[in-house]
Amino acid sequence: MKNHSPNSSSPVTGRRYWRSLDELADTPEFKDWLQREFPQGASELEDGVSRRHFVRIMSASFMLAGMGVMGAGCRRPVEKLEPFGKQQADYTFGEPQYFATAMPTRGGALPLVVKSYEGRPIKVEGNAEFPDSNGSTDRYAQASILDVYDPDRAKRYKNAGKMVKPEDAYAALDQIAQAAASSGGQGLAFLTDRSTSPSRRRLQDLISQKYTGAKWYAYEPVDSEVHERAATQAFGQTVRPVYHFEKAKVIVSLGSDFLGSEDDVHNSIRRFVQGRKPESGAMSRLYVIESLFTLTGAGADHRLRVSPTQIGVLAAAIQALVQNPGSATAVKGDAAKWITECAKDLAAAKEGALVVAGQSQPLEVHLLAFAINSALGAVGNTISLHTVKPSIAGTISDLAKSLNAGEVSTLVILGGNPVYNAPADLNWSATQRKAKTVVRLGYYEDETFAQTDWHIPAAHYLESWGDATTSDGTLVPVQPLIQPLFGGMQELEFLARIGGLPQTSAYEIVRATFGDVEAAWQKFLFNGFQPGSAAVTVAPGFIATVPTISPADPSASSLEVVFYRDAKTDDGRYANNGWMQEFPEPVTKITWDNAVLVSRKTARDLGVENGDLVDVTLGGRTVTGPIWTQPGMADYTLGLALGYGRTAAGRIGTGIGFNAYSIFAGSYTATGATVKKTGQTYVIATTQHHWSMEGRPAVREANWAEYQKEPNFAEKMHGVEPQPVASLYPNPLDEAKKTALHQWGLTVDLTSCVGCGTCVIACQSENNIPIVGKDQVKRGREMHWMRIDRYYTADPAQEVTREQKNEFAVDEKEQFDTWIDDVQAVNQPMLCQQCEAAPCESVCPVNATVHDQEGLNVMAYNRCIGTRYCSNNCPYKVRRFNYLDFNKRPLADLKGTLYPTAMLGSKTGGELDVVRWWNNPESGMREQDEWDLIKMVKNPDVTVRMRGVMEKCTYCTQRIEHAKIKQKAKVGQTGVARLSEAEGTVPKTACQQACPAGAIVFGDVSDPDSTVSKIKAGERNYIVLGDLLTKPRTSYQSRIRNPNPAMPDYREWPHSYEEYEKVNGAPYEEPAEKGNS
Amino acid sequence: MPLALVAVLAVVGGVVSAAVAVYCTPKYTKVGYQPVQPVPFSHKIHAGQLGLDCRYCHNGVEKSWFANLPGSSTCMNCHNQVLKDDALLAPVRESAATGKPIQWVQIHKMPDYVYFNHSVHVTRGISCVECHGRIDQMDEVYQAKPLSMSFCLDCHRDPASHIRPAAQVTHLDWQWSTNSAQAAEMQCTEGKKLVDHLKVESLQSCSACHR
Repeated sequence: MKNHSPNSSSPVTGRRYWRSLDELADTPEFKDWLQREFPQGASELEDGVSRRHFVRIMSASFMLAGMGVMGAGCRRPVEKLEPFGKQQADYTFGEPQYFATAMPTRGGALPLVVKSYEGRPIKVEGNAEFPDSNGSTDRYAQASILDVYDPDRAKRYKNAGKMVKPEDAYAALDQIAQAAASSGGQGLAFLTDRSTSPSRRRLQDLISQKYTGAKWYAYEPVDSEVHERAATQAFGQTVRPVYHFEKAKVIVSLGSDFLGSEDDVHNSIRRFVQGRKPESGAMSRLYVIESLFTLTGAGADHRLRVSPTQIGVLAAAIQALVQNPGSATAVKGDAAKWITECAKDLAAAKEGALVVAGQSQPLEVHLLAFAINSALGAVGNTISLHTVKPSIAGTISDLAKSLNAGEVSTLVILGGNPVYNAPADLNWSATQRKAKTVVRLGYYEDETFAQTDWHIPAAHYLESWGDATTSDGTLVPVQPLIQPLFGGMQELEFLARIGGLPQTSAYEIVRATFGDVEAAWQKFLFNGFQPGSAAVTVAPGFIATVPTISPADPSASSLEVVFYRDAKTDDGRYANNGWMQEFPEPVTKITWDNAVLVSRKTARDLGVENGDLVDVTLGGRTVTGPIWTQPGMADYTLGLALGYGRTAAGRIGTGIGFNAYSIFAGSYTATGATVKKTGQTYVIATTQHHWSMEGRPAVREANWAEYQKEPNFAEKMHGVEPQPVASLYPNPLDEAKKTALHQWGLTVDLTSCVGCGTCVIACQSENNIPIVGKDQVKRGREMHWMRIDRYYTADPAQEVTREQKNEFAVDEKEQFDTWIDDVQAVNQPMLCQQCEAAPCESVCPVNATVHDQEGLNVMAYNRCIGTRYCSNNCPYKVRRFNYLDFNKRPLADLKGTLYPTAMLGSKTGGELDVVRWWNNPESGMREQDEWDLIKMVKNPDVTVRMRGVMEKCTYCTQRIEHAKIKQKAKVGQTGVARLSEAEGTVPKTACQQACPAGAIVFGDVSDPDSTVSKIKAGERNYIVLGDLLTKPRTSYQSRIRNPNPAMPDYREWPHSYEEYEKVNGAPYEEPAEKGNS
Repeated sequence: MPLALVAVLAVVGGVVSAAVAVYCTPKYTKVGYQPVQPVPFSHKIHAGQLGLDCRYCHNGVEKSWFANLPGSSTCMNCHNQVLKDDALLAPVRESAATGKPIQWVQIHKMPDYVYFNHSVHVTRGISCVECHGRIDQMDEVYQAKPLSMSFCLDCHRDPASHIRPAAQVTHLDWQWSTNSAQAAEMQCTEGKKLVDHLKVESLQSCSACHR
C-alpha cells in the first residue's frame, strides 16, 4: 500500500484545509453542515405556511391550471414574425454581431468587444486584438452589462424632482450656457468624476476658454490618482507610472492590492502571472506588506501583516537598507529580519526590482517606493513612466470651500454620487445646496438626485459615443451598441450643451477630436484602438527628497482603519448590480454585505465575535456594522469596505451593508478609531461553509526549489484507488467516443489563478445564471456554476495546541486560536469536472443527466424532475438546484428574509398576481418594467431554467455547438468538419475568455497538438479526487510558490503540503507505518 | 354491479388514454396548421412555377439558425415592375415604403428549449423538403411534418436515407434517379457514402439540440 488514502473515513489527526473560522472550530453546527448536502431547512417551507394552508393554495393552483389548460393550453399560441420592411445589408438575423468599444474607468479604459444579439448587447469580452493584452476583462466590466438593463436607472428628465420634457431640460441647459456666456462663467462650477477621454478634455478646454471664470473640480471616492501625483513629485514631470510585473524578479507591495482592488487590475494580473511560469524557469518573488488580507497577500511568497501606519515605517526601513545595506535597526521585533532579508533580495534584483505602494497609502510611502525603484534602476524597466496632460481640476474640498463662501451659483455635476460618498467632514448634502442651481447628469436617481434642481438621465457607456485612453495612453473608442434605452443624454452632449458649443452631437465631437481621414476613423472603430498612440515614456531621475515617517502605535483603544475599494460594489457604483452583490468577496466570501474586518487578536481584545454589531467611532463620527474575524489581518486594524449602506440605490442596493463613507474623511487610512459592542448581532451570508472538501489534497502546492527536484509531486499526492474489479456495465462513453470528432477538456493553472473571480461573473453573464438574494445564499442555494474555493492553511506545528484540547470542549471561542494569525491562502476555481465516469449520471432516475459523445456531461432540463440525487452524489458539489423560480422573483424580494408565497389575493405593484399571471404567464411576480428590461440581458443561446431543475457548468456547450455548426456550414459537403486549434476554430469558454491570468485553458484533448493536451501532459497536472475513479475532464496544475530561504518565515514546503504529509505521510517514499489508522 | 361499472370505466379509460396518446401528438395536432397570412403569398407560383430559389428570399438559411423571412424591400425588387398596383400587395408596398414590418404568422415553430439550426442542415445536404414538405406546391403554406422530437430523431438515427448532394438541397422534387426504385436504392448507397465521407455526426445526444 502506497499510503493512506486521504479519502478514507478514518479519523485524521488534523484538518488540512479549513475555510472558515467556524469550520476550524469544529462546532456541532458545522458538523451538521458537513453532513447535510444542503443546509438545514433548505428544502423545507419555512415561511409560516401550514400544511392546511399549503393544500388550500395547491388546490387553488390546480383549479387555475385547469382553467389555463382549457383556456390557453389547447390553443396554439399565434406568434408573429416581423421581417424588416427594408432589408438590411450585411446583417443576418440570428447571428450575433460584435463591436469594438471600451469601458472607461477612473484612470484608463478597458478595450472591449461586445456581443450584440438582435440589437441588444448581451456579453462583454476583452479586445484580444488590443496590443499588450490577452483579451481578458475584469469583474466590473463583465457586470457592467447588467447596468444597462437596470430597471432602477434614471429614466426621466426632472426638475426639482418633477418630470419634465427633455426639451425643457435642453432649454434649461441652454439658459445656463447663455448666463455663463454673459457672465464669463463666474459662479459656474463643474464637479466631475475622473476620465481619460481626450474628447471630454477638449470640451473642458473649450469651455474654460469660453467661460474664463468657470471652475473645474474632480472627485473619485476611491482614487488612485496618488500614483500619478507621487510620480510627478518624484520625477518632476507629469507622468503616470505603469508597473511591469512581468519584467520584475522581486516585487515588494507596500499595501498595494494590485491583484485585487487597484486600478487596471486585469493588466496587473496578466503581467504578474507572465513572470511566474514554473515551466519556463522564471519565477518572480512577491513580498507583501499589508494590513488587510487581500488577494495580493494570498498570492504572496512572503507576507507581513502590519497596521497601515507601520507600512510607511517599513518602507522607509527598506529604502534605508537599499541605500546602505546592513540590518534594519529602525524596525522593532520579528519584522527586523524580515525587512533586512527582503531588502537584500530586492537590492540583488537590481533593475528587476519593483516596489509598488498601494492606492490607500499616503504620498510619502509612494515617494519612498519610487526612491527605491529609482535607486535600483527599475525605472524604465519594471516601471515605465508615461507622460500625461496635467489635470486642471481642483479637489472636492476646494469646491466645498467655494460653495461655503457663496462663490458658486451654478453647480454642474457630471456622474459621481457626492451626496453619498463625499468625505464626511464636508457635510456635502448641505454644502451642495448652497449653489443656486444644481444640474446633474446621473445614471441613477440616487442620494445626490434629491439635492439637485435639474436631473438629466445619463446614457450608459454602451449607449454612448466617446473615447478614452488606456493606462499606457493608447487611444480607444467608446462606441454605442444600442440607442439610449430611456433617451438618456451622453456625457459629451451634456458638456457641449452647457458649454454652449455649436456641435452637440457626441459622435461629431469624438470624430472631431480624432481628426484624420474617414478611412482611418473607420479602421479605428473596427479595431477598437489606435495603434502606436501610447503616451511617450520618459525615464527621469528621482528628484524629490526622501520623506521620513513617524509611526502611530495602534492599540485596542486606538485602532487604525483602512477604507478599501470593495470587490463587489466598487465605490458603491455597482451597489444596485445583483451579480456584484451576490458575488462572494474573494477573500471573506461574504455576499450582500460588508463587515468590520478584524484580526483574531483584536477581536479577542475587543471581546467581539463574528456577527456582533459594533459601533465604530472615528473622528467623532460613528457607524454600526457587524464584526468579521479575518485570518491574516493586522492586529488593531479595522478593514471597512466602501460602497455599501446606500439609501437610494434601487431595488437591490438600498439598505445593503453599512456606509463606511459616513466616517470617511478623505484619507484611506486613519488612526484613533474605537469600537464599542452594541450587544446586537447580525447574520452575514457567506458561501464559505459550503461544499467543504474536508481534508482532501484538493490544492497541491510546493515551493519552487522542491518543485524542481520533484516536478510531478502533485501526481504523487494522488490517493489510493480501490482495487480494480470487472465492470458490470460498460461506460457508454467508451463506445460513443469512437465516432466523435472531438473530446473536450479543461485545465486550471493554480499557479496563475489569483482568485479574482472574473470567471464567476463571466459565467453568470454567459449562462443566464440568476441571483437568489441574501437569504437564499444563507441557505446554500446560490446558483453560480463556477465558484472559487478559498482554503486557508497554517503551520501544522501550531495546530498541536488545538489537538491537545479536549475534543468536547471546543466551542466557537476557538476562532481565537493563535495559529490563524499567519495563514497561507489558496484559491481553486471549482466547476463541473465533466467526469467521464460521472457519479451524478448513475443515480439520475430519469436520465436527465447523461454523456454526449464528446465527453460532456449534459443536463436535459426538460427531463429533470428535481430529485437532486445527482447533487447528492457529486463529490465536487458543483451542481445547482433551482429551489425557486429565481428568474421570476421581483428584485425587491431578494433582500427580504423570505420570499413571500403567492396567494390568490396577493398583489405586486398594486395588481393582483393572478391577473398579472393571466396577462403574462412568463413574467411571474415581477413588475412589468423589471421583466421587460431584465429579460433583455439574457443570452438567447442558453435556456433560462425554471424552478425544480438542476443545472451546472456545461463547458459552455452553446459556444461549442455554435463553433461546430459554423465549421460544418463552412465546410459544407467538402469534407469532415473538425474544429482545430491551429485554425482558431475551437471556441473559448466564457471563464477562459475572461480570465486575466490565462489560468483556464479549454480545448480538444483528443488532439495531441492542442494546448490543453500539452498542458495535461505536463508534470504539474493533477485531478481532484481522482482516486474516486470519476475520471474528470477538468484537471488542475499544481501551485508553485517561490519563497526566499533566507527569510525568517521560510519553510521548505508550503503549509498545505506539510499538513498533507502529516496526515498521509510523504508521497515520495514508502511510509514506515501504514497511515494513521 | 360495481364490478361491471369498474370494468366499463377501465375500458373507457383505456380507450381515452390510448386515443390521447395517439391523437394528441404533433402528428395530429400540428400537421396541417395553415393560418391566414396578411398577404396571400403563393409559394406555388414563386417557387414552383417561376422557379425562384428558396435562398433568394430565405437568405439566412445557410448562415443562421433562422432561415430568415425576406424584408418587404426584397419583394419590391420584382414587384416594382410586376403587379405593381395590385391591391393584394398594398401591405407590402406600404411596409417597404415605411419600413414597418408585415406581421406574418409563424407556422413552423420549435419549442424554446430546442435549438434547431437551419445552416448546419442545409449546407450538409438535408433538403428543405425533409421538414417543410412540398412547399413549391402549396398555394398557402401549411405545416406538412410533425416536427416532433421523434420526427427529428427518425432522421438523426438514419441520415443516409435523407441526405443528398448539397447542390440539390433547394430542389424539392429532386431524386437520385428518375426511376423511383433505383432512386430509393441509390439513396441508400450514395447516402451512406456521403455520410461516411463527411463523417456526418447526426447527433443524438441531448446537447445537440438542448442547451
